[in-house]
Amino acid sequence: MNAIEIRNLTKTFGEKRAVDGLNMTVPQGAIYGFIGENGSGKSTTEKLICGLIQPSGGEIKLWGKDHKDQNVRSQIGVLIEAPGCFPNYTVWNNMKLQAANLGLKNENEEIRRVLHLVRMDGAASNKFKNCSLGMKQRIGIAFALLGNPALLVLDEPINGLDADGMRIMREILTDLSRRGTTVLISSHILGELEKIATHYGIIRGGKMLCEMTAEELNADCPTYVALKADDVNARIVLERAFERVEYDQEHGELRVYGNNRAEEIADFLYKQHGIAVTEIRTAKINLEEYYIDLMREGR
Amino acid sequence: MENTKTLQFEKPSFFTRLRGMLGVDFYRLFHTPLFYIFIVIAALIPALVSMGAMGDGETAGMFTNAWQIIAADSPLYVISNMGEYANMDMVFIFGGIMVSIFIGHDYRSGYVKQLFTTHAKKEDYMLSKTLVSAFSMVCMCVTYLIGGTIAGAATGLPFAINGGSLLCAILGKMIMSLGWASLYTFINVIFRRKFGISIALCFVLGTGIPVIGAAALVGNTAALNIFLYGSSVYACLSANFLTVLVCLACSVVWAAIYNVLGSVILYRRDVY
Repeated sequence: MNAIEIRNLTKTFGEKRAVDGLNMTVPQGAIYGFIGENGSGKSTTEKLICGLIQPSGGEIKLWGKDHKDQNVRSQIGVLIEAPGCFPNYTVWNNMKLQAANLGLKNENEEIRRVLHLVRMDGAASNKFKNCSLGMKQRIGIAFALLGNPALLVLDEPINGLDADGMRIMREILTDLSRRGTTVLISSHILGELEKIATHYGIIRGGKMLCEMTAEELNADCPTYVALKADDVNARIVLERAFERVEYDQEHGELRVYGNNRAEEIADFLYKQHGIAVTEIRTAKINLEEYYIDLMREGR
Repeated sequence: MENTKTLQFEKPSFFTRLRGMLGVDFYRLFHTPLFYIFIVIAALIPALVSMGAMGDGETAGMFTNAWQIIAADSPLYVISNMGEYANMDMVFIFGGIMVSIFIGHDYRSGYVKQLFTTHAKKEDYMLSKTLVSAFSMVCMCVTYLIGGTIAGAATGLPFAINGGSLLCAILGKMIMSLGWASLYTFINVIFRRKFGISIALCFVLGTGIPVIGAAALVGNTAALNIFLYGSSVYACLSANFLTVLVCLACSVVWAAIYNVLGSVILYRRDVY
């Protein structure tokens, strides 16, 4: 069963089409990494799924039911932008209010559980306005987890988290997914997303560019041979011989894309052109590189 | 992936939903200094009014009976002097400001975002805000009554009155809180985060200027009782049981209308 099914979804703000005929399928239990540039329509889509804004066209089904069905909403946990808390109330009181809105029975126990999950037990008595950005983000995640929802919609939840926070977040989401909770998560920190996502959707200009599983992405990511040579002519030589050669400024290495063996390229450079290779390795492009490539191709 | 999660689509009853929402709103009301500030303001208004009445200026002698600080002698929609205007109805002016700040904070803090992503229904939100706002205005009426009684005693004016009429007037005005609260909630749902506009509009409508203007054109007619300000004025010192019924009908009908309209707007427009 699919937790989310979106067909031909459109949302316009005046003349601007923020979401433009978007289709999306999120299977039950998936951690769906929702990726796109700033202003591509990620947050708008998430707000539409949660019913915070009204679609201009198309349909959204959650577990096969209309997303406006209030009973379906009892199964959604949301963190969009910042958590909606009253700044002068303590974290505990803010959570009590949300627990009351959710109609939770053992609310104190539940609040303790979610605060412990995000390692915020000690912050319960802090006023929300006195919490740091990272703490607020963790509290927002705790808000979303209240009532153990079957679907989590998280918009940039990793922003502002420290390394420990990111690790905790990864553990929580992976564990929840294992138990069957579906997670829709948007983030610009693709390195983190890559560690947990089981599915991906890449959005651009309000349209879904592609959807794929982590396995499909892995198979689709090209391999390359990365090398460092002490001759400046290496790049020219390689570019003449191979279809796609790029210089990676960050690592100061040349990348030869395709299914080539490292030894063959090293031999080719040394035996035919007298260029010695100082470092060589075979690698696969990661999600971030795949995404940048995809965006570049689109342009 | 185990996918062991069992989905249970809960269908909480209307009373369960409303109880939760009312609990939250009352908690917020009692934990905001704003509520207590306006309660005190409501108690101070009659003191200021009576001070004006005791002075030597234009307002001197505008009251002949201490209870006129609570309600006018007769339902005069056309205002000829401040004495006919300055009474418990002023609670509804300040009440509008209080309600606007209270509801505006829902939007400013992002609380509505948390609320409307749960099973909360828009009509529950309207009803809960209306009831809590009405309660706060009733509280303001009570402190106004206390302040008015003390101020009345300070003026040295006679307290002679038909007790039944006074009771009906006070009851009528308190009942009108429901209608006014629904109007203010409706206005705030329209303007949401722009609560400066909501405050200004609530203030203007709370003063009754549109109805006073209409009365200037059509004269003192009971037809004006169909409006919230009209019925509020109708609850005067010559009130009887019928007055209470008129106030009840006007207040409940307008509350229903504004609640339905507010819910429709919330359903159709982007919430956050």
